[in-house]
Amino acid sequence: MKYTTFNQQATNPLLEPMFFGNPVNVARYDQQKHGIFEKLIEKQISFFWRPEEVDVSRDRVDFQKLSEQEKHIFISNLKYQTLLDSVQGRSPNIAFLPIVSLPELETWIETWSFFETIHSRSYTHILRNLFADPSAVFEDIVLNDEIKRRATDISRYYDDLIFATQLWQTQGEGTHVVDGISHKISMRELKKKLYLCMNSVNALEAIRFYVSFACTFAFAERELMEGNSKIIRLIARDENLHLTSTQHILNLWAKGKDDPEMQSIAEECKDEAIAIFMNAVEQEKQWASYLFQHGSMIGLNKDILCQYVEFIANHRMAAIGLDTPFEIKSNPLPWMNNYLNSDNVQVAPQESEISSYLVGQIDSEVSAGDFGDFDL
Amino acid sequence: MTIQVQDGPAVQGCTSKTLLESLEQQGVEVHYHCREGFCGACRTKLIEGQVEYATDPLAFIDDDEILPCCCKPLSNLLIRLA
Ligand code: FES
Ligand SMILES: [Fe+2]
Ligand SMILES: [Fe+2]
Repeated sequence: MKYTTFNQQATNPLLEPMFFGNPVNVARYDQQKHGIFEKLIEKQISFFWRPEEVDVSRDRVDFQKLSEQEKHIFISNLKYQTLLDSVQGRSPNIAFLPIVSLPELETWIETWSFFETIHSRSYTHILRNLFADPSAVFEDIVLNDEIKRRATDISRYYDDLIFATQLWQTQGEGTHVVDGISHKISMRELKKKLYLCMNSVNALEAIRFYVSFACTFAFAERELMEGNSKIIRLIARDENLHLTSTQHILNLWAKGKDDPEMQSIAEECKDEAIAIFMNAVEQEKQWASYLFQHGSMIGLNKDILCQYVEFIANHRMAAIGLDTPFEIKSNPLPWMNNYLNSDNVQVAPQESEISSYLVGQIDSEVSAGDFGDFDL
Repeated sequence: MTIQVQDGPAVQGCTSKTLLESLEQQGVEVHYHCREGFCGACRTKLIEGQVEYATDPLAFIDDDEILPCCCKPLSNLLIRLA
């Protein structure tokens, strides 16, 4: 089915499935098939923040004091976070918008993606402060084999879905040969790709990101790199919301509250979904080995980080109705909770490096009476 | 009100604190992140009893689950922690 930016067929969005129904037309939010997405949009917008509001200038001094192995941990972690958000800043839009059928879900996807771009911009803010020229750090993200291996797995399911959707929207169902390779496109296959992709996105935001958060906050536990930590706390708050949204989507499907075919696909592809999570866990453990290859840091080492991955994976898998594969029962990094608590996440205006906060305040104090002499 | 944790201790619940706060103050550890009902980290099984939400929970919960970070007990409860 060809994509159209405004579907002129009258449809009833209350009867559409989340994806692969009729294309959306009127962007209306007075009624919703799944009200949760409207609530997530409102919550996400209420979180709006700008990286420049966080003062990271003190981190430069801290960074110089770090040992070489700690610098390796800190910078590698930041590179990985940059990769993850580079993917997240574009992929939900490109993969999901062409196939979405509910206006509230469409806007949730756009809102979600927009916040990912704030995350990406904040890495530049952090790195610019640490290095006169951060180019080498950014450039290494596409050269470093450890990072590239991760990128392959993270983008794979998105790319698969995007390509199959393009074939379907331009050529329809059937077998199509592209560059000598034949691709079988059917609605069932498309939906399977969507299902696997959604699991992979959830594993990315709900597990992979938390490994990187643990590294960031381990520095903050030692009162180091606190500006960076403040930014990552704001990012973590957003990610909490993102992982909730994909958990909702996966559960709506699995519980038969949306497209019935997606329910049967969820059954059929359960083992593949589990494999996606297990793979992510395995890769994060390998990443932990790479991070700590020159030695650990106070408060965090490879083993504890690997235990934390398992602990988090158990929680996330249970949340979408999968069995919990790991023995671990208690949180090996209890202090993580303090950093993920949204109460502690406020940007203090007085810390602001820029004056826009103040400018806003002054502006709002200008009352209508101040313009009394102006005649229009 | 009594909050009985399955295979665990019983604590006192009240309507002026969230269930999570009551549990923590009486030494029961509950996993959490946001403490505001949107991340789902505190998801807990409610086996018996009733709760009420102060803020609309946004995180996914099953029909027999509650979010202790944003609910208060309305009766004696029997819960199972994750
Ligand atoms: S701690 Fe986030 S939902 Fe309860
Ligand atoms: Fe992000
Ligand atoms: Fe995200």
